Amino acid sequence: MTAQTYSLSPKEKSFVSWHLLVAMVALALGTLFGPLQAFEHAGLNLYPFLQPLIKSYYQGLTLHGVLNALVWTTFFITGFLTFNVIYGLKRPLRYPTLNQVGFWLMIVGLVMAAIPILLNKASVLYTFYPPMKAHWAYYVGLTLVVVGSWVEGYGFYFTYAAWRKENPGERTPFIAFASVLTMVLWQIATLGVAVEMLTMLIPWSLGLIETVDPQLARTYFWFTGHPLVYFWLLPAYISWYAMLPKQVGGKMFSDSLARLAFWLFLLLSVPLGFHHQYVDPGVPAGWKFVHAVLTFSVFFPSLLTAFTVIASLEYGARKNGGTGLFRWVLALPWRDPSVAAQLLAGLLFFFGGIGGLANAAYNVNLELHNTTFVPGHFHLTVATGVTLTFMGVSYWLVPYLTGKKLWKPDLARWQAWLWFIGMIIFSNAMHVLGILGAPRRTPLGDAPYVPAEWNSRLLQVGIGGGILFISAILYFAVMIGTAFSKVKVEKEVEVPVAEALQPVSQTPAWLDRWAPWVYAALALIVIAYGPQLYEQIRNISLTSPGFRVW
Amino acid sequence: MSTTSLHVHPYEKRWIIFSIVLLIVFTAAVAIAAFALGIQVPSPEQRVDPRTVAVDPNSPWSNPGLREIAPGRYEAYILAQTWQFQPREIRVPVGSRVTFYVTSKDVQHTFKIQDTNINVQVVPGQVSKLTVTFKKPGTYPFICSEYCGVGHAGMFGQIIVTP
Amino acid sequence: MKNQEEFQPKGTVAILVVFVITLIVLWGTIYLTLLQRGGTV
Ligand code: HEM
Ligand SMILES: [Cu+2]
Repeated sequence: MTAQTYSLSPKEKSFVSWHLLVAMVALALGTLFGPLQAFEHAGLNLYPFLQPLIKSYYQGLTLHGVLNALVWTTFFITGFLTFNVIYGLKRPLRYPTLNQVGFWLMIVGLVMAAIPILLNKASVLYTFYPPMKAHWAYYVGLTLVVVGSWVEGYGFYFTYAAWRKENPGERTPFIAFASVLTMVLWQIATLGVAVEMLTMLIPWSLGLIETVDPQLARTYFWFTGHPLVYFWLLPAYISWYAMLPKQVGGKMFSDSLARLAFWLFLLLSVPLGFHHQYVDPGVPAGWKFVHAVLTFSVFFPSLLTAFTVIASLEYGARKNGGTGLFRWVLALPWRDPSVAAQLLAGLLFFFGGIGGLANAAYNVNLELHNTTFVPGHFHLTVATGVTLTFMGVSYWLVPYLTGKKLWKPDLARWQAWLWFIGMIIFSNAMHVLGILGAPRRTPLGDAPYVPAEWNSRLLQVGIGGGILFISAILYFAVMIGTAFSKVKVEKEVEVPVAEALQPVSQTPAWLDRWAPWVYAALALIVIAYGPQLYEQIRNISLTSPGFRVW
Repeated sequence: MSTTSLHVHPYEKRWIIFSIVLLIVFTAAVAIAAFALGIQVPSPEQRVDPRTVAVDPNSPWSNPGLREIAPGRYEAYILAQTWQFQPREIRVPVGSRVTFYVTSKDVQHTFKIQDTNINVQVVPGQVSKLTVTFKKPGTYPFICSEYCGVGHAGMFGQIIVTP
Repeated sequence: MKNQEEFQPKGTVAILVVFVITLIVLWGTIYLTLLQRGGTV
């Protein structure tokens, strides 16, 4: 089999690049606050120096959460998925204007949300739990970002439908299939927060209604909040399943199981949001247990992923002469910064999975809820498993898009290793502190109840944060260096898309059929959420006026 | 070759079976802790109006604090507000069984008692109820671990368990 | 094309065994802490 070469047009390249540019600017500003928070925990409070630009720890934390977890991810992902759809289907977008409209909606939303945050009128964090009440522009802006991403998704669907018509009976190429699926998952998932915004927060912040129901708002929010993490994760999985194996000289171990894992994510990732509400007073324990069982079941496709991805890597390493039970790992091309970043991201993601399985374990959450264990956990998942993978992807994607050689690959490799080391120190300390009872979302340097036994761990939080800061600087140095470099690539960068060990034509047809899976996913949502949503909406008590407490 | 059956490598087949067993074992461990050992998460208790809960004379939170309902058996009504808990200090003898009823009159908080499994979200309009038996004497800080405004870091109290 | 069966991913199994042991130890530690801190009903 020969891989056909296909190239994005200059226009398409620039469209994808704009997504990445916005994402990286968000990450640059967002990560700036991470080390500040970490230093604060270690007793070095730099916030007085940020006056009057940044008025409080919490204005910074709102920026950190929104810019990193919402903006960096959403923009990078929509850009990367756009690339995958075009390149995977080897055809241009059906209606490029539609996708452009989507992108501009996202930009307008971003600017709208950023203004109140920067004016300290929306220091409600990225979860915006009512009855804390932000400026209306914050809610409207975030809603527009989501709507814009939906519109870009519609663009994907039209493109996919056109490809289907042109290629009847063919299996959808994996990266395009997985990208469209990720978008479907996102569009189902975001219904919760859309309802929260439209029926409560936006009319309330505009003064059209006086009061809201904070418990129901939490239920709507976490309907979206958990699958949100799969929206972050699946694009990283696309790279691990289908791109990384090629980068290490291997093949995809199993195309079928990769698709099966993605279907299971679509099926299972929404109906389990109560696992973020285990200690909520307004949700019955029985329903929480149902969601706990479903949460354990969504761990299954990740375990499947672990096997398939590692086996693909092992296949490549052994072809490169790797031997031994473990020694083959050294035969992977660690010198390639894109590979190193993704391997290290995957390694830490293992530990993220373990912490997640603890958080998600029903009553175990009594021990961990709202402790530093939680940010300790998701800095291994979204801030490393996902973010460091995206950084790794950008080490080949940005040269592909710009036609410039990656500036100083050695620095890029250092960047990956420093992120890895810094994150181990930072996150380990956060996990341990959490088990000891340290609260999250708290400037612990200021808290009167901190016992002396926490101090050494708090110091490690600061040290890890410092190393991460250096890594972040290196990342942006490499990106800026590449963008402004005068050294062009000799020939267009090859897009790493791995072949499957078994020909894709042998992938069963039922793994390429949409309707049954989508209907099953919706049915499962109705079963797992329907009764409680009905109950909570029927008993809605709009008793909370808004508060500005910052 | 059939194109409808899913082809799985024998190693991966075994991994799949093992994964499922592993997840069942974890679920069972959690279920035992919950249903046999009584480590349970909260369920809906009661609705209140946060606008009046602290002032309505019929509301126990208009006079928050500890009530002894039987020897060694207590109820504690805790009112959370920016940026303090009322009461700030509770004293009980060792071995006491205390049921906490926590609500908020403004924004959300979290009520977490260190070194116990009491850790509940406090949502205005709802009452969070959990019970604990204090088996060892000592000081147990209770802290707010949900962001509730600029004074959040100072929001705490303590339970003194006397010998 | 080389058959998938001919390739025995022994290293993958080895890594996953290490992972599962780590998972059980860490998760178990947290679980035991939960048990030690006692009931809530
Ligand atoms: C330079 C690296 C980073 C450092 C040192 C860092 C540090 C921190 C710290 C110390 C907290 C806890 C604050 C608190 O609970 O009071 C935090 C929260 C958070 N971080 Fe990071 N972070 C970094 C990068 C990232 C990245 C890349 C992401 C996401 C892609 C991210 C997402 C978040 C989120 C969502 C929160 C929670 C915000 C909230 O509680 O509202 N962080 N970070
Ligand atoms: Cu509070």
